[in-house]
Amino acid sequence: MQIATYAWLIALIPLMGAILLGLLGKKVNGKSAAAIGSASVLASFVLALLIFFSINSSTQKSFDIHLFNWIHSGSLSVPFNFLLDPLSSIMLLVITGVGFLIHVYSYGYMKDDEGIQRFFAYLNLFIFFMLLLVLGDNYAVMFTGWEGVGLCSYLLIGFWFKNTNYNNAAKKAFIMNRIGDLGFILGVFLIYNTFGSISYDKVFAAAAGFSSGSSIMVAITLLLFVGAMGKSAQIPLYTWLPDAMAGPTPVSALIHAATMVTAGVYMIARSNVLYVLAPFTLSVITLIGVCTALFAATIALTQNDIKKVLAYSTVSQLGFMFAALGAGAFASGVFHLVTHAFFKALLFLAAGSVIHAMSGEQDIRRMGGLRKLLPITYPVFLIGTIAISGIPPFAGFFSKDEILAHVYACSPILYVLLMVASVLTSFYMFRLLFLTFFGNYRGTKEHMHHMHESPSVMTIPLMVLALLSVLGGFIGLPEAWGANHWLNGFLAPVFEQSSGRVNALELSHTTELTLMAFALAGAFIGLAIAYSKYIAKNQVPAEDNNQPEGLYQLSYNKYYVDELYDKVIVKPLHKISESAIAFLEKNVISRSVDSFGRITLNGSRLSRNLQTGYIGFYIFFMVMAILLILLFNRI
Amino acid sequence: MLTQYLFYFLSFLAIFSALLVVFSKNPVQSVLSLIVTFFAIAGHYVLLNAQFLAAVHVIVYAGAIMVLFLFVIMLLNLNEDSEPQKPGWIKFAATITGGLLMVVMIAALRSAAEMPAPQKVDASIGMIKNLGHVLFTDFALPFEISSLLFLVAMVGAVMLGKKEIHNP
Amino acid sequence: MNALLILSALGIFALLTDILGLKKILFPASIVALIGAMVASGLEWGHHTSYFNGMMCTDNTAILYTELLLFAGLMWFLICGSSIREHQTEHYAILSFALAGAVVMVTFSNLVMLFLGIEILSISMYIMAGSQKDKYSSNEAALKYFLMGSFSTGFLLFGIALIYGCTGSFFTSGIAAAIQQPMTLPHGMLLAGVLLILTSLVFKIAGFPFHFWAPDVYQGAPDTITAFMASVVKIAATAAFFRLFSMAFGSMVQEWSFTLCLIAIGSMMIGNMGAVLQDNLKRMLAFSSVAHAGYMLIAIITLNKFSEAALLFYITAYTLATLASFAIIIRVGQENGNGDVSSLAGLGKRNPLAAATMTIAMLSLAGIPPLSGFFAKYFLFNAALQENYTWLVLAAVAGTLISVYYYFRVIHSMLILKGSEEKISNSPIQIIVMLVLSALLILLGIMPDLLLSRIGS
Repeated sequence: MQIATYAWLIALIPLMGAILLGLLGKKVNGKSAAAIGSASVLASFVLALLIFFSINSSTQKSFDIHLFNWIHSGSLSVPFNFLLDPLSSIMLLVITGVGFLIHVYSYGYMKDDEGIQRFFAYLNLFIFFMLLLVLGDNYAVMFTGWEGVGLCSYLLIGFWFKNTNYNNAAKKAFIMNRIGDLGFILGVFLIYNTFGSISYDKVFAAAAGFSSGSSIMVAITLLLFVGAMGKSAQIPLYTWLPDAMAGPTPVSALIHAATMVTAGVYMIARSNVLYVLAPFTLSVITLIGVCTALFAATIALTQNDIKKVLAYSTVSQLGFMFAALGAGAFASGVFHLVTHAFFKALLFLAAGSVIHAMSGEQDIRRMGGLRKLLPITYPVFLIGTIAISGIPPFAGFFSKDEILAHVYACSPILYVLLMVASVLTSFYMFRLLFLTFFGNYRGTKEHMHHMHESPSVMTIPLMVLALLSVLGGFIGLPEAWGANHWLNGFLAPVFEQSSGRVNALELSHTTELTLMAFALAGAFIGLAIAYSKYIAKNQVPAEDNNQPEGLYQLSYNKYYVDELYDKVIVKPLHKISESAIAFLEKNVISRSVDSFGRITLNGSRLSRNLQTGYIGFYIFFMVMAILLILLFNRI
Repeated sequence: MLTQYLFYFLSFLAIFSALLVVFSKNPVQSVLSLIVTFFAIAGHYVLLNAQFLAAVHVIVYAGAIMVLFLFVIMLLNLNEDSEPQKPGWIKFAATITGGLLMVVMIAALRSAAEMPAPQKVDASIGMIKNLGHVLFTDFALPFEISSLLFLVAMVGAVMLGKKEIHNP
Repeated sequence: MNALLILSALGIFALLTDILGLKKILFPASIVALIGAMVASGLEWGHHTSYFNGMMCTDNTAILYTELLLFAGLMWFLICGSSIREHQTEHYAILSFALAGAVVMVTFSNLVMLFLGIEILSISMYIMAGSQKDKYSSNEAALKYFLMGSFSTGFLLFGIALIYGCTGSFFTSGIAAAIQQPMTLPHGMLLAGVLLILTSLVFKIAGFPFHFWAPDVYQGAPDTITAFMASVVKIAATAAFFRLFSMAFGSMVQEWSFTLCLIAIGSMMIGNMGAVLQDNLKRMLAFSSVAHAGYMLIAIITLNKFSEAALLFYITAYTLATLASFAIIIRVGQENGNGDVSSLAGLGKRNPLAAATMTIAMLSLAGIPPLSGFFAKYFLFNAALQENYTWLVLAAVAGTLISVYYYFRVIHSMLILKGSEEKISNSPIQIIVMLVLSALLILLGIMPDLLLSRIGS
């Protein structure tokens, strides 16, 4: 395959873009910065397309491209290699494709921001690290990308760094991710310790010799999963993602919906060989995935900030993906990752368009009736809502249905919980839609006056994403329909080694079709409740100081999880560190450090005093030294 | 037998005059003692059958270099009074360390006696013909490289000695 | 060999330019010649050729060190070439010859060659240290360096004579072969010879307790010459040290390694502690170079399959950082020349590129990841740990901790202290040098294998 040799360009071009933009800074105007940023991602996208087609048509499914030896020390050898296979090529398409659309959109969104050059430099840098993450053929390169995207996420959440709240949100995201990253890197160390290598092919080949359920496998997979929890915002490390909405909306769409947060899903799908050897970890993942899906969905029910609703919805949808991974349905997890990237990016960008039109207002209680005023944003938002709610033939239906079927095969109880989450999804999404676009306008006159549909540089990406949200599901038509599930077949080589170890979907076609009917019914139930509440009865959520009591209050305040963390973890930590300062710092550390300093200082004086400047003394000292050396060696 | 007496005589002469170089207060006297030392060493070369080396040694050291030394001493007008006086303890310490070093070196060289004596010595090894042969075959590269060394020293001497023309 | 020929030719050409009236093209010609020498020396890669009955041998390690020397020389000419106005031709000639001497030192396989190489390099340095004739400090530096240097040369010669007396050979291979049969050798004499050579080489790399010349000479000599000493001389001396002790005396490592351990620890301690209280930048770097000599000795002590690569990497990282810092010191010295750490105050505002380069160089010298200095230390310590020299590594780490203080003091002075507001401009050549050096410092830190894979292949 000729094109594979140019794979390094895919990653390099965005990096060059980032460096160029970073170096040029304000020397280019916003338009050129946007052009440079978008063009570099577009070039990567074209290359990704070429690679995708050649992999699709070639019989060899995996290409290892050696770029250079990165670290070579003792028995540790880390090559800087790229791995091109069906999984990475799909990820490449999603990252560069959706990434490109978001770059284009960003120009319209950020046009008047004075930091637009910096913004595009960060975005390009993010794309570079994300590509590194999915392209690496070993855990070290993946970790580099993993940390890099975390950094870019931090930089972009705190993009408007003059606002202290935004900075705090950025710090929160960074620290939460660090907790996960610690688990991830410990997992990588354990992998190296166990297998003597961190290259995927060597590790996976060696893993075949381990028995299923061995404790070392459980330890490795659990540690890696901790990393995934942090990056992909699963319970208990999810609280950073809603706060991350402080960043510009395109960032939320690109990083906190479509790509970075799905890194955990990619990582687990990539390590599928290890995970199938640890059934315990798989059940943990399913459980956490289902709980996250349900938990986040209940919070999303009562939120009034348009981006917050979408953020919790992202957490919830990521829970769906993890539920699929835990059930051993890696391909279904990746499938949902792809469709989710389409419709969630669409929803975020459309929400961005609404916010743009409302001059920065994000509270849906101040919106309403925007349907007529935003003739393009409204239909695309509607498409996104239908897609995420799981109504056929839109993308979300197929992928979500597959996950539900796999979870059902695993455990009917979890299926019911996930089903509830799915109904809630449909409800809160339509609630969002109705409150934003239907009913009467509830905002200020001032905002009404400035109301306008977004420019075409923003609406065209929206339309493309809407098209993808409609058609995206057809890459994985259910086999129960007698159709050919293309994605499963395409990804099969990646999951070949583990396919024998997980239970294949053994549901009869009738059961599957029944489950689909349930899912569809659930979606419509959610829709119906939302309709009756917000269209028929024309309700509007209460103001902050007038909230209903009970469960509503609990959900509205996000179950007080942030406060809980503050009480249980942050405050005790503060207490401990205060007492540590009082005792350890003053008595132990200060003293030992001081004495180290004192020794150094005395040594310095000695060294300086020896340096008399008299050459006679120097030579005398030299001869003495030679004499001592000779005597010392007993000559 | 005679060569042995000659060896001891030359050695005594060399060491004695070397000590004179250090101890004499008059710089000119030091230089003259040094010349004696060089001649004694040249005598050693002759004993070793290295006539060429002996000749070169006399010409270069006793001739050229010593004349240079004398010129410098005369130009700087050095005499007994301008000799800097070092503190006593430095002299003392230097003597002790120097002496100790000598003892240690002798101890180190003592083990050379354990070496088996060479079987047969080629009497003509130090002759000019053999020396030239070795220099221009086996040691051709060091011979050429040493010209680099002299060139550096020469250029440096010229540079340091040259009068500054455009000094501000 | 190619490099040696080209460098000698360059030196002679430089001498002739005054007569031929070609002074204008001297600088470009030197740059071209050095690049040509790098290419020509690269052509010998992998051949392992022995020249003139085994007088010198261009094995792969020797070629790598030659390339490093030539690169350092090239950078030096780029940094300093334009600032040398007085006695330009002599400067160029002597420094070309000095580079040739350095090349001899890294390619020798005969002690006579080693001696000649050391002498060519040393004598050039004695002269150059005193090249600012109207400055008292320069004269003092030259005389001190010369007196102590000749003293150590005496010991070197004495050592070589003793070794020759024992083994009957000047060739490293012949000596190594003779040492293999220890029964026939007078052991005390052999060991005395090895130790005398050892002391004189420790003097050349400025290790404790033979380091006294370094601070005085570094400070007194002109900035440009100090830069040459800190880079080229250091590379050549360390490489020659390793070459001689691994090739000739490798089999008796047990007998001299402990002595060298004490010297290494002493150098690290005295060097690092000495640098803490220094205000003069060059003096501080001199003490720092003493400390780095201590680190590099670790490679010579361990002498295993890792240490050769580790040493090459260390010297490379050290040279790059040193050249980078001297590029800035020389530039700043031209503006306000007291040469104190405080003269860098406000450099972050006055010349951001220089401040950034200096920061990278200081961080690398302190061994902060991901710069190459970190990996250099890591590989070196790793090699030492393979031989169970845990306490040596602990001492080295303690020394590194101290070193952070004075390296960061420079950074602090540049970036935090307020100084003059006047901008300092960079010439295009200076910009290129700074960018190349900092890029290499970062690149080797990210991809150490670029260099490491060359050795032992």
